[in-house]
Amino acid sequence: MKRKWIIFFSLMVFIAGIVFFPTVHARSTVIALDPQVTEIHPQFPLLDAQGKNVIDSGQPVSTYQTCGTCHDMEFISTHSAHSDLGLSTFGGAKGTYAHPWDQSNGLYGQWNPITYRYLSMDGDERIDLDTAEWIREFAGRIVGGGPAEYSTTGQRLTESDSEDWNWNESGVVEMNCFLCHFSNPNNDARIESLQAGEFQWANTATLVGTGLVEGSVDQFTWNPKAFLENGDILAELITIQNPSNENCTQCHGDVQTSQLPTDLSDCSLDEKSQSNWLAVTTGQVISAQEISESEMNLAEKDTLTRPYDIHIARGLQCTDCHYSLNNPAYYQSDVKPDYLKYDPRRLEISEYLTKPDHNFANSRSAADAVVSGATNGCENCHDARNTHDWLPFAEQHMESLSCESCHIPTIVSPAAQSLDWTVLNSDGQPAASCWGVDEASEATGGVVTGFSPVLLPRENTDGSVYLAPYNLVTSWYWVYESEQGLRPVRQEDLEAAWFKDGDYAPEILAALDADANKTLSEQELYLDTPEKQAAVAGRLATLGLKNSHIEGEIQPYAINHNVVSGKWAIKDCSSCHSEDSRVTQPKKLASFVPGGVIPEFINTSGTVANDLVYIENGELFYRLDTTEHDLYVFGHDRVLWVDRIGGLIFIAAMGAIFVHGGLRIYSARKNTHPQVTMTRVQMYGVYDRFWHWLHALAILFLVFTGFMIHRPALFSAFKYYSVVILIHNTIGILLALNAALSVFYHVVSGEIRQYVPRPYGFFDSAIVQMKYYLNGIFRGMGHPFEKTPRKRLNPVQQLTYFLVLYALLPLQIITGLMMLSVLQWPQIADWFGGLTYLAPFHNMVAWLFAVFLIVHIYLATTGATPLTAYQAMISGWEDLEVHQDEGQPEEQNGEISP
Amino acid sequence: MKKKFPTWIIGLVTIMAILIVPIVIFLPRAHERDNPYAYITPTVKHKPHEELITKTFQSPQDVTLSCLSCHPDAASDVMMTSHWTWQSEPVQIAGQDEPVTIGKINQINGYCIGISGNEKKCSSCHIGYEWEQIESNGAYDFTNAENVDCLACHADPNLYSKGVNGNPADDIDLVAAAKSVAMPTRENCGECHFYGGGGNNVKHGDLDKSLVNPSEELDVHMGGQDFLCTTCHQTVDHQILGRSLANNYLIDDEEVVQCTDCHGEAPHEDKRINAHLVSISCQTCHIPEMAVEYPTMMVWDWSTAGQDLPEDHASYSKAKGSFVFEKNVIPSYNWFNGDNEYRYLLGDKIDPNQPTYILKPDGEIEDPMSKIYPFKISHSMQPYDTTYQYLLQPITAGKDGYWTNFDWDNAFRLAEEMTGLIYSGNFDFAETITYSPTTHMVQPKENALQCLDCHTENGRLDWEALGYPGDPIEWGGRTIEK
Repeated sequence: MKRKWIIFFSLMVFIAGIVFFPTVHARSTVIALDPQVTEIHPQFPLLDAQGKNVIDSGQPVSTYQTCGTCHDMEFISTHSAHSDLGLSTFGGAKGTYAHPWDQSNGLYGQWNPITYRYLSMDGDERIDLDTAEWIREFAGRIVGGGPAEYSTTGQRLTESDSEDWNWNESGVVEMNCFLCHFSNPNNDARIESLQAGEFQWANTATLVGTGLVEGSVDQFTWNPKAFLENGDILAELITIQNPSNENCTQCHGDVQTSQLPTDLSDCSLDEKSQSNWLAVTTGQVISAQEISESEMNLAEKDTLTRPYDIHIARGLQCTDCHYSLNNPAYYQSDVKPDYLKYDPRRLEISEYLTKPDHNFANSRSAADAVVSGATNGCENCHDARNTHDWLPFAEQHMESLSCESCHIPTIVSPAAQSLDWTVLNSDGQPAASCWGVDEASEATGGVVTGFSPVLLPRENTDGSVYLAPYNLVTSWYWVYESEQGLRPVRQEDLEAAWFKDGDYAPEILAALDADANKTLSEQELYLDTPEKQAAVAGRLATLGLKNSHIEGEIQPYAINHNVVSGKWAIKDCSSCHSEDSRVTQPKKLASFVPGGVIPEFINTSGTVANDLVYIENGELFYRLDTTEHDLYVFGHDRVLWVDRIGGLIFIAAMGAIFVHGGLRIYSARKNTHPQVTMTRVQMYGVYDRFWHWLHALAILFLVFTGFMIHRPALFSAFKYYSVVILIHNTIGILLALNAALSVFYHVVSGEIRQYVPRPYGFFDSAIVQMKYYLNGIFRGMGHPFEKTPRKRLNPVQQLTYFLVLYALLPLQIITGLMMLSVLQWPQIADWFGGLTYLAPFHNMVAWLFAVFLIVHIYLATTGATPLTAYQAMISGWEDLEVHQDEGQPEEQNGEISP
Repeated sequence: MKKKFPTWIIGLVTIMAILIVPIVIFLPRAHERDNPYAYITPTVKHKPHEELITKTFQSPQDVTLSCLSCHPDAASDVMMTSHWTWQSEPVQIAGQDEPVTIGKINQINGYCIGISGNEKKCSSCHIGYEWEQIESNGAYDFTNAENVDCLACHADPNLYSKGVNGNPADDIDLVAAAKSVAMPTRENCGECHFYGGGGNNVKHGDLDKSLVNPSEELDVHMGGQDFLCTTCHQTVDHQILGRSLANNYLIDDEEVVQCTDCHGEAPHEDKRINAHLVSISCQTCHIPEMAVEYPTMMVWDWSTAGQDLPEDHASYSKAKGSFVFEKNVIPSYNWFNGDNEYRYLLGDKIDPNQPTYILKPDGEIEDPMSKIYPFKISHSMQPYDTTYQYLLQPITAGKDGYWTNFDWDNAFRLAEEMTGLIYSGNFDFAETITYSPTTHMVQPKENALQCLDCHTENGRLDWEALGYPGDPIEWGGRTIEK
């Protein structure tokens, strides 16, 4: 009996040990994501290219034969961007692609300065990579099929003639089903086989470690114990699944599945970058882990208590968004009548499993859609309209901005920033720099600060264009003129130019080695003078490369991951609606500009950017030009001359008032006041006064709030931009209503006649009035035109008020309403050129209102006493001077006060 | 002409109203959130007694009488509580002929097993004096108000502590202790509740001495907001809210302290998280781990006691047997409706080949009142009578008990008289399991569990064991008939 307890107790201790150990770090574990195991898959044999069981033949496994027993491999391999890699767009007309030496839009044929090596065109005098070498070079990113199987002419590579490569011996790379659908593929062994040129063995190598096959590049042996008597493989060795995040990670990089994030503290573009492409080019880390728990040396790490990517943290898989396009669970017909919410006519699961489309849904970006034909934007799952009530002009924002613009505020890891292939460091690598690393702290390991993505206009599949976040990678490189046209200098030629017997060539040292220590430091590796350029170009010329010169390019890399929840998104209006708006903030692309060459945008990522790239103090900057893209960002954008002219008029008016007022005071002191009889007349009815003061206050508020919207920086204490906009809009609508009512009143009551200048003798009268303002008023003379309730306005007033009330005010109201209605009826605003024209116009008229306001307030002091007119507009009763010389005013409707 | 009230003011007010009222109407309103602090009754400040206590005390009972001279109802109030009676009200339980009371006084547990006969030591956590009566009279007089120990909960714990038989320790200055009385602090309550099972954090896992001076990280209420125990366990006339599962079968809702007392029914901004509350208790996500500062006992094996092995209070003691302690323990998760499905009562038959539940919470997926709660599950090997097939309670600390002679047989024989349970002379050890809810040491919201802590393969929740077909994020949650 005792023994039982001892066993029990030891068991308990053991269990406790197991439980106890992992709990020490329990809070920081990132849990492996559900691998979506498909337990339903039947057992199967592995077949070779001849359809024989590999255990009998000992030959490499053929996925086409093995998986093709049930799945339509022909369909799958021809419906896969992963497989195609540009083969289908190969050989288009010149000018179709990003560079003159490009041959397609994909990895097979498009040159990228980050990876530098390139597939040479047929017939090139200097060949960098041919197809076989291309496969070996880019092994980490080639899944098989496409150009790894077929030539550009559509022949199987084994049937095409090649002097340089024996395709029959190497075989071709069949599309590798195992890599994405097995739970434990061996990507390293696969890459090793490809790099060794053992193409047909690559898929077999993927199975190393499963127990099915043993060996390495030189020799693979199938393990008889892993096969049943009927030839099927042992079920427990292989788990077939929907591609899990781990599967995608193998090539795309940093889809975080382990406990600690990959060390992304530097963004070096070395060999590893091929399998870490996403992180290197954009800094995106697709992980559920809280950033504050990462292993990186991050600035303000404690405050970053959000996960790297909210979607992963919420349990989503890569394939939840990047789903197969004909997967019946996701499929949506392009044509959907209004009366249908869901169209149940779709593939049966069995049909889908036979022919699953291996093109996957991607972002709405036109560039992504070119590859895969369908989109899966945020709006497929999210109804943003329901959750953005708080956002003024929500529709307008969503038309101009992608969701990601605000929901990817920062990337909290480094990313490639610039690459200078015009020089080579002693390792044969280009000079490079990273976004998001504090340069000052580089010596102590580098504090990662992260960076804000730059916003670029992106074209979507539906033709719309809005701003979306990107990372910009700027590169410079040498280009020479070959017989066949421009080509980038091959890496081997570049190395030959820079190095001689393992050291820098003497000519290079002579030109660049400023401190003459026979080696080139980071500071010396920079072609900032024509002499230095000439030295390198001279070396290239001796290699036979003609007219070598420096070219540069800016590659935008789309950032769609690392999305944050609303809590962390950009919500502060001033981050865009301010002087240093996020939208147009100059972005420093590089702290050097080799050869002074301003690089050009490569718009292959759906961008339509071609904005301001400029050099300032030897550094390269990019800035978005809002007017180029029909954007008018309130609080940031303004038309300078409108403000200048408006301001000048305003200042002039102020000046005139001071001079005029000063003179009046002066003359009032000098002149003796003749005793005048005063009479009290009811000048303004209740409604007159009501509409006047409502107008007055509304316009005052509008000018003030409008100015705040226009120049928020001057009111930095006032942070509630959206509230100011709300007040402005509300009062604007009230003013419009009041104006409409008062017009109605004026017309119906006939009062409108007061405002309409009588053409007959108008100019004479106006001149008389102007003379009075400029002369008579200082002499204590009476007003030339008697003010009576029936005729309150002098000719100048009539004209001014008529213009203000019946021209300026309607214009301002109409432009204001058009800006307000730009969401519902953008076409109305578009007739007038959109916001970019309406807003400055509204702004100009606002200046005129401001001028009118102060002039009006001043001239109201020209009554019998300075305050008479004010009192009259308040009480309705006005004291009038009785001018004997012009006779008693006719007694009309206005009652005379007792 | 002159009016008393100038009309222009009316005009101005009207015009301003026309402008301002629509703005106010359209202004975005901040989402008003329930303020949890509104539900907290502030702790009354106790009048300093330094100057009120003027006489010297001959005995601790003198202190009590002195208290009662101004607080006449205090003793009678406190004597109605289980802090004094050490047992619940009688409840009718299936399988029992008569209603039974459950409590320390008459039942056993999986830790120190039982009190009967061991009162000399165990009474250090009873709020009464003079437990030596048991030896002289055979029973304790629960009606004598003089023996209520006011100082245990109200004196400064640095100036007062209890020794044997519920009496103050020998060196206590009763006057100084009496002068220090105040509202019970965390330390007062902790004197007993942190040390349940005979040591710091042995029993609960979520109550230990780190709560005397906790950080916000450890306990967001006590650390961040300086809550006392009584902030949540609100007390009126010495009736303390909150009930221990261990001493009850059924617990009235009114007796329960719940998060929702202050935090409302839908406290999260995210609707999806609020939707969890139908099936998940607050504690499940907000107490990601227990025993964060000090390890808690997970296994107690009495069967190895009595050997002359190296002793170390964390793993073996001759008196008590072997232990397994763990730190940062991830709780176990079970359906729980607030009541017990089973509470072992003295004399209940066991099957020694199966673990016996000392305490098993009630709940299942079909029960709409049940939610998934975190629990500490501790395992014990404790003695049972192989002939009668029930758990035995030994005399341990009592006179001539196991801790004196290390003779199990004698310890069970001595206990026969105390417990009234016949001992056949044959014993062995059987496994017992005790659940205790993990409900204290709520951590800051940043530490709360995230989606993937559960909604992933090998996550915290074993969905199938809980009765789901699979992860409800994919398979859907339970449907509850309303």
